[in-house]
Amino acid sequence: MSSASFNYIRAAELTDALARGERAGAAYLAGGTDLLPLWKASLTAPQDVIDISHLPLATIIRAGDTLSIGAMARLSDIAAHAEVKAHYPLVCDAILASASGQVRNVATMGGNLLQRTRCPYFRDAGLACNKRDPGSGCGTRHGENRHAVLFGGSPGCVATHPSDLAVALAALDARIVVSSDSGERELALSELYPLPGETTAPDSSLRPGEMITAIRMLNAARFSNHATYLKIRDRASFEFAVVSVAAALRIEDSVIAEARLAAGGVAPLPWRLEKSEAALIGRAPTEHAFAEAGALAIEGARPLEGNAFKIPLLRNAVIRALQTAGGHS
Amino acid sequence: MKNRTIARYEGTLKVTGQARYEGEMMPEGLLHAALVESPIACGELQSLDASRAAALPGFATLVSHEDAASLKPSAATALIREKAIHFHGQPVALVAATTLSEAREAAKATQASIAARTALTQMDQALDQAYEPAMVGRFPAATRRGDSAKALSEAGLVVRRRYTTTVNNHHPMEPHAVVCWWEGNKAVVHTCTQAIFATRAIIAHAFEMPPVDIRVLSRYLGGGFGCKGQLWWPWMFWAMLASRKTNRPVRLELSRAQMFTLVGRRQETAQDLALGFVDGRLTAIEHDVVAQTSTHAEFSDSTAVYTRFLYACPNVTTRHSLVRTNEPQPVPMRAPGTAPGTFALESAMDEAAELLGVDPLELRLDNFADHDQENGRPWSSNSLRECYRVGAERFGWAERRARSAAKDGRWKIGFGMATTLYPAIRQACRARVALRADGSLLVQCGTQDMGSGTYTALGQIAADALGLPMDKITVELGDTELPDGPFSGGSQVTASIFPAVEAATAKLRASLAGLATTDATSSLGGKPPEDLEFADGMIRSRSGNAGERLTDVLARAAADGLEADGESPATDHQQLAATGMGYGAIFVEIGVDAALGEIRVRRVCGAFAAGRILNPLLAKSQYIGGLIGGIGMALHEQTVTDAATGSILGKSFTDYLIPVHADMPAFDIAMIDEDDPHLPGGVKGIGMLGTAGIQAAIANAVYDAIGKRIRKLPIRIEDCL
Repeated sequence: MSSASFNYIRAAELTDALARGERAGAAYLAGGTDLLPLWKASLTAPQDVIDISHLPLATIIRAGDTLSIGAMARLSDIAAHAEVKAHYPLVCDAILASASGQVRNVATMGGNLLQRTRCPYFRDAGLACNKRDPGSGCGTRHGENRHAVLFGGSPGCVATHPSDLAVALAALDARIVVSSDSGERELALSELYPLPGETTAPDSSLRPGEMITAIRMLNAARFSNHATYLKIRDRASFEFAVVSVAAALRIEDSVIAEARLAAGGVAPLPWRLEKSEAALIGRAPTEHAFAEAGALAIEGARPLEGNAFKIPLLRNAVIRALQTAGGHS
Repeated sequence: MKNRTIARYEGTLKVTGQARYEGEMMPEGLLHAALVESPIACGELQSLDASRAAALPGFATLVSHEDAASLKPSAATALIREKAIHFHGQPVALVAATTLSEAREAAKATQASIAARTALTQMDQALDQAYEPAMVGRFPAATRRGDSAKALSEAGLVVRRRYTTTVNNHHPMEPHAVVCWWEGNKAVVHTCTQAIFATRAIIAHAFEMPPVDIRVLSRYLGGGFGCKGQLWWPWMFWAMLASRKTNRPVRLELSRAQMFTLVGRRQETAQDLALGFVDGRLTAIEHDVVAQTSTHAEFSDSTAVYTRFLYACPNVTTRHSLVRTNEPQPVPMRAPGTAPGTFALESAMDEAAELLGVDPLELRLDNFADHDQENGRPWSSNSLRECYRVGAERFGWAERRARSAAKDGRWKIGFGMATTLYPAIRQACRARVALRADGSLLVQCGTQDMGSGTYTALGQIAADALGLPMDKITVELGDTELPDGPFSGGSQVTASIFPAVEAATAKLRASLAGLATTDATSSLGGKPPEDLEFADGMIRSRSGNAGERLTDVLARAAADGLEADGESPATDHQQLAATGMGYGAIFVEIGVDAALGEIRVRRVCGAFAAGRILNPLLAKSQYIGGLIGGIGMALHEQTVTDAATGSILGKSFTDYLIPVHADMPAFDIAMIDEDDPHLPGGVKGIGMLGTAGIQAAIANAVYDAIGKRIRKLPIRIEDCL
């Protein structure tokens, strides 16, 4: 079989998919908005493509203070969902800042979290990339690196995670439900994304055959009045984030009781800004407090030649997102 | 000749999918082709091993430099005849197979052994090796009038700055394609080209065959912008060789990624500009341009050429030099030269206005050139001052100081303006018109429609000349069986076809008038020809109540219909009594979020003067399209070479940003009527005008908004922080 060909297998049901997914060379096909371009560019060559797009994994269940979203739910359906809009506006904001209407109509929630980096060295089979081809090196570190990470990079990989949704979910402490032939496990979103090593940079901590089946948020509606997703990019639409910030506050009696901040476009995973969060607790939502949080957000940033501008940009973006999130109730 | 709005002649065909583009031809027995690309940027091909490829299903043939050795040497065949590798991604072979995926697999399985040499992958690695080309387009590369060095030393104010522009790619929506086959010794070539006759001539040269044995067709084009020209020819030749070798039709279509490497680019420039002023008047200009070209061919945009014309200035020195790199070859791209050149000149004028404490518009009016000082000739017409006046008024430039300090939410508002210009030139053109017995008219010209409205313009000129409604007109173009027409480039098609079609229709009118006035049975019998007018499908007497339908004249005296040919010459630049130039003034309002670096264009007003406008609807669309391209160049488009490998990075529309709908500002287009007695029909080109000037207008508006002077393109987030 040529590398351009694969076996297309429409999974009859979840157990069928999971059994097949474990085999070497298998790939799950959900919306296909990333897998198919990768395949066309010869960046991936699955033997078996297991179509799971029709599996009944798109339900949205709100039970008590837990929201559970099926992994196969389309981005556009979630963004338009009345309850999600009312209680988790941050998720809707992040989705609507992503891709284009056409892509959002096809792309799924689970697939979005597993999309691969946009690093141009990864996306070109002729260039060195440890993520695509472990041990081949990293073309980005000493090459064109405007898009590269400020945090969490390694000598072997400085690629960012491209998802907007993941940044919002990270801020809301979302948990990921993962299924496999041997059962189900749940992990924090941050646990889904490993940091890169010296010569390898796996995209996720999923084991062979594991599939994201649901996304859960516990008690995250408490941020619904003070949340925003700020995405900065070179053109007005249809571009991955240069830098993005998800900000969520719970304000009680004019004091910040809880703060959640996550940044996109700056790390191999949605980067929680925990120092900034901590500095906001117990403070009034003032410019002074926001500026301090912005300054803390960039501590430890390690720029490369072409991306130092992201440091002031991140600081300003944190401040702006907090102004927006904290500015109304 | 009427100025009127007519919807696209081919609009319905296109929106209903009936317009067949040449790449859509699917003849019986078609083979599909794919290219084997060099993974290194500099070296020499040692060998090709197709043994694995040949064993794959569907494999038909492989062609390489060995097959191309049969072609006659020329610039167009050099890349495919020789073994030298000049840039990353350079094709070393073409593979044809039964299906496209089989062809791609076979291309992947073909092993190229290449001896690598050290590549020079970036212009700034070799600035010391810059050399001066003889010409930049049709202009000398270096000029000097007066003594600019002396004038600069004596100037009251000197603005001396470096401006840089990056590499852009053309990216028409339709990628290049060819579907070709041989009928005995004759070749049929369906291909995307802006120049069917030049393509036929180069095929005739390369294959050493008579042009009449070659038919080239390009009836619809999904854009060109300058890249559907000579750099496509080598790969088209390989497809033709594969067809000849297999005796089957062969189809090659470039991928979007290959559009970044194989068919040209707007060259990168570094421009050093010095302006000297005495009492607000320009006394000296020096404009030095360094630009990139490849190691296998030479090209220089006419970047500093417009600096020789735009302003009144006694002492002007301009120079162009080139640096060879192992990168893809540049070619003209929309508004070639004038887009990067006006970015530098019109940015520097804005800087000068600031330093002189005068309004940027006033400074331009004060330095208006009332004649072509470079050639010592008058302008054929020049309504630039009217463009400034009308544009400023419609835009509200007078409110600049009050408005531009304003904020709108997170956006700081800035106003900027700049000038655009492009020469009015013509090529030789022939056209044929044939009036049929039923009163319908066939108009034929071997030019191309890039999507900008040539079908409509051709039909409209003929319809108006003969007083026929558009639904009686059939237009044929894009086929070398038709009379020789101009190539689609340099904003000159309409200006070139106009006099040829006018000449042909004038002959037809004379024939018809003769048939009617010499016929005693006609109510027009005996009328002098100059008394006749053609309208509503009739010949009518202006002086008396007499007239006849064209169909009646034909039925009586020319039952088979009537035909006429017309032709017109190219512009003879040596013999010009006056310099023809189209102008425009571009005004923009932008918003900059100074904390986040984001820039959005909010409003653009372009006031243009480009001779007689045949069809305001088409012209407006051309101007807006041009301005959008200019916004892309100003803020988004950037082709990046990986220094280590010479590979172009991010060869897709995900990474190569172009403006999207959400980036579109409100456009206000003003067209200033010009009556130009020097140009046939008074027609100047308009296609390039929108794409120049706006880059500087945007940069000037950024300065107005946030006080940062940005002297590079594109202007991005990091520049505004």
